[in-house]
Amino acid sequence: MFFHNFKYSLKNAFRQKEFLFWILAFPIILGTFFYVAFNSMYEKESVFNEIPIAIVENTENTAFKEVIKELSTGKAPMFDSKFTNSKAALEMLKSNDISGIIYVDSELSLTVSKDGIKQTIIKSFLDQYQIRESIITETVNNNPQNLQSVIDAMSQEINCNENLSLSHGNMNTYIQYFYNLIAMAAFFGSVNGLYIAINNQGNLSAIAARKCISPTNKLTSITASLLASFAAQLICVSIGITYILFTLKVDMGNKIPMIYLSGAVGSLTGVTMGFFIGSFGRLNQNVKMAISMSVTMLSCFLSGLMIGTIKVFIERYLPIVNRINPAALISDLFYCLNIYDDYKRYTVKCVTLLILSVIFAIGGFLQTRRKKYASL
Amino acid sequence: MAKTVVKIENLVKRYKELIALDHFNLEIKEGEILGLLGPNGSGKTTTINCLLSLLSFDKGTIEIFGEKMTPSNYKIKKQIGIIMQNVAVFNELTVYENIDYFCGLYITDKSLRKKYVQEAIEFTGLQDFIKFHPKKLSGGLLRRLNIACGIAHKPKLIILDEPTVAVDPQSRNKILEGIADLNRNGATIIYTSHYMEEVEQLCTRIAIMDKGKNLAIGTKDELKKMIKNTETVTIEVLDLENSIISKINNLPHVYEVNYNDSKLRVYCSGGKHNLVRILDVLTQNNVPFGRVFSELPTLNDVFLEITGKELRDKED
Ligand SMILES: Nc1ncnc2c1ncn2[C@@H]1O[C@H](COP(=O)(O)OP(=O)(O)OP(=O)(O)O)[C@@H](O)[C@H]1O
Ligand SMILES: [Mg+2]
Repeated sequence: MFFHNFKYSLKNAFRQKEFLFWILAFPIILGTFFYVAFNSMYEKESVFNEIPIAIVENTENTAFKEVIKELSTGKAPMFDSKFTNSKAALEMLKSNDISGIIYVDSELSLTVSKDGIKQTIIKSFLDQYQIRESIITETVNNNPQNLQSVIDAMSQEINCNENLSLSHGNMNTYIQYFYNLIAMAAFFGSVNGLYIAINNQGNLSAIAARKCISPTNKLTSITASLLASFAAQLICVSIGITYILFTLKVDMGNKIPMIYLSGAVGSLTGVTMGFFIGSFGRLNQNVKMAISMSVTMLSCFLSGLMIGTIKVFIERYLPIVNRINPAALISDLFYCLNIYDDYKRYTVKCVTLLILSVIFAIGGFLQTRRKKYASL
Repeated sequence: MAKTVVKIENLVKRYKELIALDHFNLEIKEGEILGLLGPNGSGKTTTINCLLSLLSFDKGTIEIFGEKMTPSNYKIKKQIGIIMQNVAVFNELTVYENIDYFCGLYITDKSLRKKYVQEAIEFTGLQDFIKFHPKKLSGGLLRRLNIACGIAHKPKLIILDEPTVAVDPQSRNKILEGIADLNRNGATIIYTSHYMEEVEQLCTRIAIMDKGKNLAIGTKDELKKMIKNTETVTIEVLDLENSIISKINNLPHVYEVNYNDSKLRVYCSGGKHNLVRILDVLTQNNVPFGRVFSELPTLNDVFLEITGKELRDKED
């Protein structure tokens, strides 16, 4: 019975056009697009130098000054910074001598004259600084000897967000886009999970009603369907990853097995979440599809998969969302792989995702297991 | 005495305010083809879903094969085949795969299943379409696939909920013949429909339901005997005075007379020479008349008398 259900769920998944599009075609098409688009940009800015900036200090801010100094010195400095007044700074910006001006008032603000990688890095630096401002101020005032490590952590985060391995001189800014793409594709498994709920919950579809009246154990058949969807999802995501790694030859570092593992964990979360969402309420199939898609998209959006700064914004005002938003956790998996040499943080995110998956699966099952309905 | 296959007693099902089943009773014996006849919304599907333990109900008991039916009574479920009113097949699977899938929920032995699936395909005449996906099938073929999925595991009790809706007459006849075949092979059948002709042609016993109640049950002849009407005489008359209408009304055995659209309709109850007597009245009064029909009661008459309304609209 288990195998019978598994086999047909798998067949079913691979013949679902939406599924194949979102999970297989979408990442491959978009990946190719990123590759083509970014490769040309990459050539233009391939030689990395420190970024020239001007700082206009309207208010005294010792901590910020210290950090800028640190980042402007050393072996591979991030910035070439000048402290000057507003007028001179604007002149320099106009003549393209600097990439941006940071104004130090009670708040920090940035002025740039165009968009580009350098501008993005400055922005990212400011975001990171603002997130950590209290820690930095505290460190400068009380434990100045620790400042270096705080700054290191911060610049690593910037590197990671903008995907600049500054320390290794490898200037592949765009890997993050590919990571996001994989995370998104994995997470779109929710579409497939949704069908499991619809096809098993007697009051959601005629097929489910028919299954309900057959002499089959629901736990067995749902587990089989979940595993089949997960397998289908895993195969598609792996094809996507393989395509990005070996056909486009995007350099994603040397932790290749872990990239696949992250794809697998992400897929599991996606499938179980779709199942969970699908099992609630008695709505039309298309409405459920739309809801599940919206939740998936919202989750991706909040995690910064679409606009990078959203995540920073959330980290600042509602950090809990980033801790439990599955899409954020999946994209974090990749960040962690990229930044940290040990797997501690990676493991934490991984386990969180697995726990979420189990909660989704059990929650969905509790909704779906019922066999008798008040209304069909 | 044949065994009782289904026994429904005092079944009550409410949807909020609406009482869908109102103390509904039904007993079905082994080998019967029971027709559940009722207009749209009379509670046929609701009855079946309660019977299958898919719907919860407010009151009553349901026994199948002498045991209480529950959602986890797999022993009973194994012996039931259901053809739902709405086609329930996977669009992504082929005809063969669909039948194999649903059969596989009942039959785990692979070689036996293969044989059964093959037989179901032949039975429904889908041999030429086994590689087709449901979307590519015509309405009639789709209904046949729906039936194949429901009966492949050779159930002893087969429930068909309006399997011929939206099917052309030729396919409809095929389906009806098929059901009679299944019955000959030993299956007990519950067949719901709002088409009288079908039910009259196919069923050994008929239950008439309306507004969630089982109003009458019996063979078609028994049902027809239950009503007053034994004969309806229709005569084309161009012009008719009221005095003549009341003369006809006063004839023995006549209990109702209608005259409109140049048609005189006389309803009779018992008696032998009703037609002759009516024509005599017309001739004696020099009333010219056209065509004359005399009809025995139909299920529609039965339905009309029992519920006070036509089973379905004329154009249906
Ligand atoms: N889920 C539901 N919620 C509320 N009312 C319902 C529900 N399902 C059915 N009903 C009502 O219960 C009554 C019986 O419906 P049912 O579907 O059993 O009729 P039916 O005899 O099968 O009709 P049809 O010939 O149209 O299939 C109808 O009045 C219908 O409107
Ligand atoms: Mg119905």
